[in-house]
Parts: sequence; C-alpha cells; structure tokens
Amino acid sequence: MRRTPRIPGWVLVALALTLALGVAVWTTRDAETHPDALDPRNPGPEGGQALAKVLEEEGVDVTIVRSADALDDSTVDGSTTVVVTSTEYLAESTFERLRKQAAPGRLVLVEPSYPVVQDIDRDLTTVGQSDDRIAADCSASVDGLTLEVDNATVFRGASDDATCFATSGGAVLLERPDERLVLFGAGQALSNDQVLRADNAAIALRVLGASERVVWYVPDPADATADEAVTLSSLIPRWIGPGVWLGALSVIALILWRMRRLGPLSTEPLPVVVRAVETAHSRGRMYRRSGDRGHAARALRRAARADLATRLRLDRRTDATTLIDATARHLGAPVDAIGPLLTEDQPPPATDHDLIRLAQELTRLRREVRRG
Amino acid sequence: MVISGRVPLLLLMGLAAVVLRPASGTVVLWLFGVAILVGIDLLLTPKPAAVGITRRQPGTVRLGDPATAGLALVNTGTRALRLQVRDAWQPSAGATDNRHRLRLAPGDDHRLTTPLLPRRRGDLRAYGVTIRSWGPLGLAARQKTYDVPGSVRALPPFESRKHLPSRLARLRDLDGRAAIRVRGQGTEFDSLREYVRGDDVRSIDWRASARTPHVVVRTWQPERDRRVVIVLDTSRTSAGRVARAAGADDAEGMPRLDAAMDAALLLGALASRAGDRIDFLAGDRRVRARQRVHGVRDVAARLQEQMADLDPVLVEADWDALAGAVQGFGRQRALVVLLTALEPSAIADGLLPVLPVLTRHHRVVVASVRDPELNRLATPSDAATADDVYGAAAAEHELERRARMRDVLARLGVDVVDADAAQLPPALADHYLHLKAQGLL
Repeated sequence: MRRTPRIPGWVLVALALTLALGVAVWTTRDAETHPDALDPRNPGPEGGQALAKVLEEEGVDVTIVRSADALDDSTVDGSTTVVVTSTEYLAESTFERLRKQAAPGRLVLVEPSYPVVQDIDRDLTTVGQSDDRIAADCSASVDGLTLEVDNATVFRGASDDATCFATSGGAVLLERPDERLVLFGAGQALSNDQVLRADNAAIALRVLGASERVVWYVPDPADATADEAVTLSSLIPRWIGPGVWLGALSVIALILWRMRRLGPLSTEPLPVVVRAVETAHSRGRMYRRSGDRGHAARALRRAARADLATRLRLDRRTDATTLIDATARHLGAPVDAIGPLLTEDQPPPATDHDLIRLAQELTRLRREVRRG
Repeated sequence: MVISGRVPLLLLMGLAAVVLRPASGTVVLWLFGVAILVGIDLLLTPKPAAVGITRRQPGTVRLGDPATAGLALVNTGTRALRLQVRDAWQPSAGATDNRHRLRLAPGDDHRLTTPLLPRRRGDLRAYGVTIRSWGPLGLAARQKTYDVPGSVRALPPFESRKHLPSRLARLRDLDGRAAIRVRGQGTEFDSLREYVRGDDVRSIDWRASARTPHVVVRTWQPERDRRVVIVLDTSRTSAGRVARAAGADDAEGMPRLDAAMDAALLLGALASRAGDRIDFLAGDRRVRARQRVHGVRDVAARLQEQMADLDPVLVEADWDALAGAVQGFGRQRALVVLLTALEPSAIADGLLPVLPVLTRHHRVVVASVRDPELNRLATPSDAATADDVYGAAAAEHELERRARMRDVLARLGVDVVDADAAQLPPALADHYLHLKAQGLL
C-alpha cells in the first residue's frame, strides 16, 4: 500500500538547504576567501579588515600581497612598511626573499613564529605571556599608550634593541633600528574584535602606519620550496577542522536518534527464585564454618547405617553391633575394618581431611553392599 | 520530541558545504538550517492524541500456546497521520513483533495484531501503547505512551495430560470387573454376568447360578460420587525450585507449586471421569482459591482457570484455616489430598496439629514434590571437597528428618506420595486408583 508519488519532503529539504547555503556564502563570502587570522580582508572577529580599512582612510596606501611573487612585484622603498601576518606560513626561503625585498623599507612581523624569530637572530628568545594591561613605557612613538590583550608573545634580545611594553619575561614590541625590523607580539590587538580595547587601535596605527605606504604581506605556504619543512597545519586541507565539527554534530544527532526508545522499557514482576536444596546447602556451610565435624560424621554414619540396614533387609532400628556383624558377613570382610566406620563412639574426625576420608569410605562401603 | 535518522544524515550532507567553504561559520549555519527544518517539521506534526485506541483482549490461553493481542486505532483528527505504534507487554507475555508502522487518513481506522506467546503462568499485563506521530518531512516526531489496560491469562500447562489415557484405561479395568480383591465396604454391586475363566471363584453368585444353566458371577463397579478435596499449599515451601526429574540439568528448575498443580490437574481429570466430585482449595495464610467442581465436563479447564493466578507467597501456611475450609466443603467423608512439601519443620509446626481432625473425618493423602538435588547432594563423589562432605552430612540429616516425618504421618494414618516433579502426577493418580480399587474412598 504505497502512497501515490508526489513531490516528497526531501525535495523541499534539499531546496531549503541549498538556499540556506547560498545565503550563507553570500553574506560571509569575504571571511570565506580569507579565513586566516589578521587577514586584511577578513571581517570576522579574528580578521584584520578593520585596521586595514582605517589605515586606508588615514591616507596610508595599503597594498595587499598574497604570495612571494606578488611581493617581489611590489615596490618597496624607504617610505614603505612591509607588514607580515600569518608568519607561520613563512618558510625559510620565503622569509629570505621577504628580507631581501623588504630591505629598503621597514619590516613589521606580527607575532612571528618561533622558527622565524630564530631565523632573524639565534639570541632572540620568545615567550608566551598572558598579562592583561601593559604600559608602553618607552621613548618610541607609542609612549604613553596602554596595550590590552589576553595573550601576547614577548621577545628578549640584545641590549641595543629598542623595546616597548616591557613585561617580566621580555617586551611585546622589539625594534632593531639598524635592520629596520619590528617584532610585534600582540597580534590580538590588531584583530577586528579587540582593536578597540584600551589603546590598541592607536598602537596598531602607530606601529603599522608610520610610513606612507604599507605592503600587507600574507604569506602563502605554497611558496615554500619542496624540500622545506612547513608547519603541519598548513598541509591539512582547510575544511578538515569544520568537517570534524560537523561530523561530531552528526554523531550527537545519531546518538539522540538512537537514544530515544519507542516507549518505556517494559518490566516484569519477577517471581521468587529460590532453589529448594538451598537450605541443605546453607546448613552444610554452617557445619563447615562452625567446624562441627562430630555432628557431620554422626549424620553420615547414621545415614550409612540406615542405608545398609535397608540393603541387608534388617529393621531400621537394628543396633550397630548387629548391623556391623551382618555387613561383615555379607562382604566377607573383618569386623574390625567395618566397625570403626559405623559405630557412634569413635572420636570425631580431627581434620576436614579425615572427615572427607570417612565420607569416601562410607560411600565405598555402601556401594560394595549394594553391588553384592 | 523524537528525531529520525535523517537528521544526522542531513548534518553529514553539510560536509559538501564545508568543503566548498571551509570555515567554522559554515558549520554553524548548516546546523542552524537543519535545526530550523526539524523545528518546522515538529510544528507540522499532528499530535498523537488524535489517535483513538481500543483494545481487543486476547483472553485465555494455555501456557505455551500462542495468543493474539488486538488494537483498533482510529484517526479522530483532521489530518493524515504517519504512525509508529508499539504495543508493549510484560516480557514474559512474549510479544514479539509488537512494533507497527501505519498511515491513517482522517477518520480511518486500522486493526493491529500483536502475536503473544506467554512464557509464564498467570495474568500477563499490557504495559502501554506508545504512539509516535511523524511530521511531513520525516525529520521529527511527537511521541506519547498511553495506558491501555489489557491482560492475557496463561493457564497452567497440564503437562501430565499424557498420563491421563493410560490411567483412564486402568479405571475402566476397575469398572465392571469381577471384584477379585477383597470386597471393601465401598464397592458397589453392579450386575451379574456369565463366568469366564480367570474370574475369582469367590465372586460366583450361587443363588443366581442355580436359576440359569451357566455359572454366574457378580460384578462390581467402583464406588462413585465420592468426594475428592484437593488442597494446594501456596506457602513458602511451594516457592522452592526443584529439578523436573533426577539428573535433569535445568538450572532454574520449576517451583514446587507448578509440579503440584500438574498433579492436581491430573487427579482432578481422572477423578471426575471416575464419577467423583472435586473440591479445590488453595491457600497459605489465607484461602486464595476455593471452588466446587461438580457436574462439569472439563474439570481440568475449571481447575486451570482457578490456578492461573496463584503464585507462591513467602509466608507460613495457616493449616488451621485451610483445614477449616476443607471442613467447610461438607462433613461427608472425602479423600483429602494435601499438595504440600514434606518439609519437616513446616509440617511439624503447622500441619501435624490439625491432621487428627482431618483424619477423623476423611482419608488424607499428603503428596509432596521431592527434590532430586537433595539425594544427589547426599552422595558425594570420590573427588569430594570438604564443602561437599559437609553438604552431604546436611543433606543426609535432612533426608533422615524427612523419613522420620513420613513415619509420623503414616502412624497418623496419612498416606504419603513423595515423588520427583515429573513423577508426582502419575504417582498420585496411581495412588488414587489404588485407593479406588480397594474401595477405600
């Protein structure tokens, strides 16, 4: 009894999702094309679009380059600042080309990664720091301003380097005047999200916009030569992270789907389950715990005597001596061998082992009598 | 609220979107879109309350026979329904295949049947009817469980029915046969017939023979219209589980009560065929069932009906009350069969004091389900451990007490039938036939 085919809900679902995806792509197409943190065209919270826009409005000529070749093509002169974000994509050779190209101008590295810092000078150390507010406290253009970020990288180098925003571990801003190189460790201060905190905006503008032209270089990991080690994250396809999230969400949905049962579990009023022989078992355990071998031996002997009397067609109340004689005669065995097994006046078995032996001998005796 | 397997699938389809646009925003948007769809679907879902449910009771079956539980569903709403229905029963009712999918147009009705296969004696109850109503997209559903009372009564199986034909044959042998045994006071004169070789010469009616050219013997029919009172003890001793037969290796065994019921059923069926009247009584601290089964064709069925919902109760039997109920059936002499356990302590405390009252008026038989496990425990193997030997001593002690109890009962003029669970029904029937042949009822 299949229903007649009509446009099923699935078509609607697919349509709605396609529409939703279209809207999503349209609204956030920039964030999609430039998802990296501090990218000058990224409008997301971590992007740097706000800063780039403001720089442009302030009359600074901002050029965005996204590959080493494009950087080579750009003109860098004495009044140019080369700003580098996403420094983790800088391979050794790319950095080499960058230094050469940026040599006439001023080079600002935003949150340079450790290999890059090591590349500049082996003596430079970097430490992660999470001070809240850091005062400039130096003679550079940023004097009197206060930086406020959640996490920053601080640098410590040679004594002739100019430093600003000093903390216990080092300085957030380190400038080597002879090389016209600036290391700025507080990348967060440039992000759309945090640029308005404290004096972050002013600091960012002064550090980046000190010259007429800004070449904003976003390195491309593809520029690295084949034999260079690039960071692992740059090799993984971009969609893996969100894909994993989506996978996790669908697993949660899967759990929710399977978890809900069709109605509650039905229960069974259970009957009493107790084996009838349980009382004998527990009485046996009680004998054992109290070590009452005398009692156990008496019970076994009495049972054996009753059994033998029945087998030998004697009255059940026959006294022990008569029974022993009859048994001995029946088996053709000496009375002395059977007597101690059956009489009551024996001392109780000294150990459990003796009791076991007594039980086994009684069983054997009963079996022999039964056999004939 | 319930979601379907399509929801995770839909979420996974978002992978394509993520590949096209690798950003965390895509995931959020996709999730949002799916959530909105599920929400819309849930809003469009008709309420399960639109379904009217009535139950068709499955009635009564013998344990082990299948039954059918019926549900009639009717769509009282104005919209078509896509339903999933579960007719839940307690597990021992054996409701397999109790999940149904169906589509109901407005005003339509539909009958669902759920096969039942009861695995336990007694009244087995329905647990509730769960209705899950799906939305038009099949993404979300509403679910509600309604309590629709229902029960199936599973009668005790009467496994010993197989012994009935042979015992009936023996009963017919008694019937119309020359009374070769000592004529008891109960045997009744039936008719005269010609002597055939093998008849007891003592039954020749010389006076009648003189009037005919043949030798004539008197025949006797077994006494009829005697009363048999079957008393089923449902107290704590009846709860103990025993193996069906010696050497049978079933871990759970069966409660003594079930074996006793089987024996009662066979005795009831046999005695009613023999023309006797059956009174049935079951109880522990109080009387749980009592019925006169006179002039009924299928006595076993009536007894089964009475026994269906009897369960062992963990209390000591009040034999005063039970003996009073036996007397309440009438003062006429009867065969009183006490189906209880030969448990020395329980009998000594409860039954012994009232036995003289019963034996004064009636012939009393105690039928007990023996536990073969006790004998097995009493004979330790050659590789016995200390535990085994102590257990054997305890078992021997118990067996001895039982033997002594049997002696005591015999001295009180009570017959004791003690047999394994599988053997008790035929043994009790044989004892009944024996008494009948002897004219001792």
